[in-house]
Amino acid sequence: MSGVLTASDFEFELPAPRRHLPMPLSLRGVSKAWDKGRVPVLNRVDLDLDVGDRVRIAGRNGVGKTTLMRIAAGLIDPDRGAATVWGTSAIEHPERYQRLVSFLPAGDRGLYARLSVRRQLKFWARIALVPRGEVAARVEEAIEIFNLRELADRRVDRMSMGQRQRLRIAMTFLPHPDVVLLDEPLTSLDGEGAEILYGAIERLLGKGGALLWCSPAGEHLEYEFDRTYMLDEGKLVRE
Amino acid sequence: MSGFAENLYAFGAVVRRDFHVFLSYRTRLVSQILTSVFSLTLFYYVSRLVRVEGFTTPDRYFGFVVVGIALVGVLYSCFAVSETIRQELVAGTFERLLLSPFGGVRGAVATTVFPLLYAFVLSSVTLGLGAAIFGLELHWPTVPLALPALVLALLAFLPFGLFFSALTVATKQANVGASWVIALLSIVGGLYFPIALLPGWAQLAAEVQPFTPATELLRHLLVNAPMETSVGLALAKIVGFAEVLLPASLYALYRAIRLGQRRGTIIEY
Repeated sequence: MSGVLTASDFEFELPAPRRHLPMPLSLRGVSKAWDKGRVPVLNRVDLDLDVGDRVRIAGRNGVGKTTLMRIAAGLIDPDRGAATVWGTSAIEHPERYQRLVSFLPAGDRGLYARLSVRRQLKFWARIALVPRGEVAARVEEAIEIFNLRELADRRVDRMSMGQRQRLRIAMTFLPHPDVVLLDEPLTSLDGEGAEILYGAIERLLGKGGALLWCSPAGEHLEYEFDRTYMLDEGKLVRE
Repeated sequence: MSGFAENLYAFGAVVRRDFHVFLSYRTRLVSQILTSVFSLTLFYYVSRLVRVEGFTTPDRYFGFVVVGIALVGVLYSCFAVSETIRQELVAGTFERLLLSPFGGVRGAVATTVFPLLYAFVLSSVTLGLGAAIFGLELHWPTVPLALPALVLALLAFLPFGLFFSALTVATKQANVGASWVIALLSIVGGLYFPIALLPGWAQLAAEVQPFTPATELLRHLLVNAPMETSVGLALAKIVGFAEVLLPASLYALYRAIRLGQRRGTIIEY
């Protein structure tokens, strides 16, 4: 053994989850119906994510996966039930909640077409209320991790769909959230982009974060999850 | 970093964003300055053509109307925020604002800042061109006082844009009736001609919005136009409108966003 100690010289044992403490993400009795009087798209859904959890939700198109993700993100309210992160309610304390959660919506929206990648990242870092002294470092970190260096000064409307998706993912991880919600994150991503994403997820989990991933049933994924749930007829069923 | 400083920094980010987007459209400033020149030219010759009761010389009416033209730009900017919110809904960036700790209401308010700053610059250019090309006589001793008066007036004008933004969030349509309201306000606010020319019922409408006292005060400070009322009364009216309308409009915007979140329609466009 050399005189220099490295992390691998120590064995860490994570404490067992303490169930009496709030979970990183908890959905309790979440129901949502798009038309009053019709069958709810989500029917009393319960879901807990613990520290380091990688959880996938799969299901047919239109089954309610995105609705569940939007509720978990605090974007829309459930008709009944609640979403909490570390016990903080999305509805009662939206500012605190949004400091803890980051959501990548499905699709390719949410970018300013005429801003460059660097300006885009800087803008969202400031909107995420990242401390002023850390903004520049976080932006450079995101550019580095998500391999955006060559694109840093390019305007978004001059980028390919895959490049935009990498930028959207970079924006999602940039605020260093505790919980990341990814809705169909592999859309338009090539193999390299997917590997970069998996690396970012591992770093999140290594820091005690949690991941909720949503994608259609039948999609072949090379990434392994701790748990996978099928959403069907408003209920989550563990696979 | 305190919460206030964090939010101020985020406000600055929105202004910088809008500035950089503005710079990406290279011909916008030139075309808008040309529009001002055309308006000035039009009203310069109208002032020579028509004798207007209450104005001793054509130059007095020209000075009157140039301030009106400058303020119309500010008026449009106040309402433009609802169009911007509509664009953000379509682009999905408003959704991202909602998903940030900065939030939708603060994001919408911050979105008003750059257009208003830009309108202020354009108004100054309009007044400057009026003076340089058409001999507009500015009353220099009181011109600097116009800046704080305009800031105060903006606080009273801004709620109109925020009310329309709330309407946009709720209905997904931008400027529902906004152009009618702008036209109506420019008439009853006395932007192009004195409100004394209007019928009695229309003059009543001039009393129930902040544009009339603000326009009168700014005309007085910029071109030394006589005032119907005192400076103090005009200021009191502007402050009163701002005090009532600003919190009401912020609440309306908050309620519109919360309604959208509750119904799930906030993601629609």
